[in-house]
Amino acid sequence: MSETEQELARDLGFLEAYTIGLGTMIGAGIFVLPSIAAEAAGPAAMVSFALGGVVSLLAALSLSELATGMPKAGGSYYYVNRALGPFFGSIVGWGMWAGLTFASAFYMLGFGQYLLPLLTPHVDILAEMTGIGKTVAALGMAMLLTGVNYYGVKETGDLQNVIVITLVGLILAFLTLGLLSGPTIGEFNPEGWPAVAATVGTVYVSFIGFEVIATSAEEIKNPSRNLPLAMIAAVVTPTILYVGVMFVSTGTIPLDILADSEVPVKIVAEDILPDFASLVPGVSPSLLASIGGTVMILGAVLATVSSANASILSAARVNFAMGRDQILVEWLNEVHDRFRTPYRAITVTGIITLVLIAVGVGIGTLAEVASFMYLVTYTLVHVAVVVLRRANPDAYDPSFRIPSVLYPVVPILGAAGCLGVLVQMSTNMVPYTIAVGSLSVTSPFQLTVVGMIGIVLIGFGIGWYYLYARDRAPAMSLVGDAIAPETTAAADGDDVYRVVVSVANPDTERDLLRKAAASAHAHDGEAEIVAVNVIEVPDQTSLAQDLTFEEERVDRQRQLLEAARDVATDLDVGLRTRAIVGRDAASAVLDVVGEENADQVLLGWTGKRSRREHVLGSTIDPIVGHASCDVTLVKRGPDPDDGEEIMVLAGGGPHAPVAARRAAEYVASTEGASLTLLNIQPPAEEGEDAVEPVEAGEALIEDLIEQADLTETSYETRVIVEEDTQDAILKTAAAYDTICVGATRESAVSQALFGSLPERLGTDLDRTVVVARGSERSPMSMQDALIKRLEG
Amino acid sequence: MPESLTGHLVVPVDDAEDAHATATALQAYAVEKVTAVHVVEKGGGTPDTIPLEQAEQRAEEAFEAFVDVIPGAETEITYHTDVVEGVFDVAADRGATAIAFHPRGGSRLTQFLSGDTALRLITDADRPVIALPDPAEGGM
Repeated sequence: MSETEQELARDLGFLEAYTIGLGTMIGAGIFVLPSIAAEAAGPAAMVSFALGGVVSLLAALSLSELATGMPKAGGSYYYVNRALGPFFGSIVGWGMWAGLTFASAFYMLGFGQYLLPLLTPHVDILAEMTGIGKTVAALGMAMLLTGVNYYGVKETGDLQNVIVITLVGLILAFLTLGLLSGPTIGEFNPEGWPAVAATVGTVYVSFIGFEVIATSAEEIKNPSRNLPLAMIAAVVTPTILYVGVMFVSTGTIPLDILADSEVPVKIVAEDILPDFASLVPGVSPSLLASIGGTVMILGAVLATVSSANASILSAARVNFAMGRDQILVEWLNEVHDRFRTPYRAITVTGIITLVLIAVGVGIGTLAEVASFMYLVTYTLVHVAVVVLRRANPDAYDPSFRIPSVLYPVVPILGAAGCLGVLVQMSTNMVPYTIAVGSLSVTSPFQLTVVGMIGIVLIGFGIGWYYLYARDRAPAMSLVGDAIAPETTAAADGDDVYRVVVSVANPDTERDLLRKAAASAHAHDGEAEIVAVNVIEVPDQTSLAQDLTFEEERVDRQRQLLEAARDVATDLDVGLRTRAIVGRDAASAVLDVVGEENADQVLLGWTGKRSRREHVLGSTIDPIVGHASCDVTLVKRGPDPDDGEEIMVLAGGGPHAPVAARRAAEYVASTEGASLTLLNIQPPAEEGEDAVEPVEAGEALIEDLIEQADLTETSYETRVIVEEDTQDAILKTAAAYDTICVGATRESAVSQALFGSLPERLGTDLDRTVVVARGSERSPMSMQDALIKRLEG
Repeated sequence: MPESLTGHLVVPVDDAEDAHATATALQAYAVEKVTAVHVVEKGGGTPDTIPLEQAEQRAEEAFEAFVDVIPGAETEITYHTDVVEGVFDVAADRGATAIAFHPRGGSRLTQFLSGDTALRLITDADRPVIALPDPAEGGM
């Protein structure tokens, strides 16, 4: 993608990002929560809101660093999954999704609570059924919003800005008039500080909106500046507004009345406004009060709808990111062919929201569960920052970093804050005794309903990991690297150069072994080949049981490995064989690579790309993704007539030297083989200073020869000047028997494992294609790191 | 001499299925140069309906399907708040002689909800627009 395209794709400036966050934050929270919070903590709930703001601000700082370091769809889920691995990824992914769904249900019920008083004076039938009425209104609006998102009806940026500015203006007016009317606070903290702390959990739902900014990180212009600014502003603004609204509300209306109201902001407005009637000639105090009440209702309706709308879309993004990491079925992320929306994810989110509304768990509980899931998420986000900073993977280069004076204070304080609120909201300090027969265990605390629901949801995430995600998602935690960051690439425990060859097909076996032997011979000192074959046994059957019935497969394995030994004798190379019965061929081969301290692993490839779940194949993908040693992938073409002509693509990618070395090894061990180093250059630009393309190509080849240390090999060089390099490569390559190419990209999660060009060569060219990748320092497992640490 | 109508066609494609259908419909005709265009619909101030990454992946799949049928075709991805405008912009940038598209049909309601792109493509264009028939229906 060129730079101008990048700019087009990023169309959210600071103001847009800020209003997106603000629009989600100023939702049901500010309109519904004052009564719930007042009941729980009295006027001191102001402190709860302020504390919620502080906890969010800390999270915003950590999130900003992560989001600018890895601007990927999925927000917190993505960062946690990347840093802490799919176990925590599953918890946070499901947690965020559940949190957004509970929040949507909360917003919608808040909508219902405010809409009803607007309608009841005019619709008699509703007045008699307020309880059901608000649920019906909530269900109706939730359905409408699901539909709007399903059909992708466009909300423009301007509309978004108008909504947000209206709401902020409305609340500012409310605050100004409220403060002028002289609110008086009674007993400030009637319930005590523990209640204040627990109330942070209740009101935290009104702070989860700034996450939307992180989930849109890849669309934000100049993210290093705009993203942290927008996040911080989107947290600070509502915090001030919330505290103010709480102050005015508890100072104007007696606590018990406020606590009982479902429309607190409306009744406060109605109470304040008559004082100002003298300023508006011709309007009676009662009329002014009812106008004010109605305006606040309209504001609440607008706010709840805009919050819920953003949440439904955010939930779909979390689903997308989970699907991309293979933690969730891709099916859910199908894009509608006409409306260009993730319609399945939206439908599922919508249905669960409707169920939550209909079940009637209570608006306070909905809010608290949403808060709970996000507090768990942000705890892990803080941990993720520390892990990434310590592990410091190459790809992580955030343009915004938590300032050094604040690190590691921010993540530590932030995580502690989240945990503190979590504990307060999930437990009651009432001793609880479980008695089973004569045994009884007394716990010093009891779990609250929210604590129980939250733990069940986390349990679901853990269960999901073990039952679904573990076998599919690439294990890519950086925790190990963070624990023992200084260790360099582990030196081989021995001096033996070892090539692990995965043999599965008797037709290609010989060629693979020949290539492995070539690498082995090229190394001074001892070298050996380890030939592996894996019999895969499906999950349902026991390993032993299946074996007896599958004598045929065992026989085949024996023959393959026997043939390997014969080939090795011919090639005069040491070879050991390993026959393995396992659940999964890829992990079995990876285990062997690890156990044997392999220096290279060699795999055959059919030259076909798999669809959907795998890129090159279910066995190849994980091995390429996780093997820390050199990886060589061979797609076999027709046998050369005589004098094998081997060509190396010189230039392009960090692994070209490895490809060149492989090629040299093959040439050295094949009689009559010749080696060509080929480079393709685009024609020179107009102008005097332009370097001659041929010279540039020659220089690149020179460079490669030096890096690959090809001093003992004779070779030819060739530079071709052509506009479309990819086409030129494909055309030219057909003239050779074997083409060696280095991997051009390293990420195992992207669409192409080795890069698009190497893979295209493999799929499109009817020649032997060797794709080589050098060793990579793969992330250490936590266990390895701990051992390393303990050993000093 | 007047310019050839099919000198350089800009052809909008959406997903892989649409790209395949469009390319198949176009294949039967002699065209000098073809550029397949995918417009990623931007929110313009609000978050997009699908993540950028997913949108770009969709474009790639569409281009692959298109090039499978018409190997020489060039491809261009662009970003615009309005799909139709995006197609026009690319056509202008590339100096296309005409825009060719394959109408996707569907009920009136579906067409209305998805923005009635076909109608706007025809009525608002600043250069000739060719509607490609289905090979089966067109009797080719």
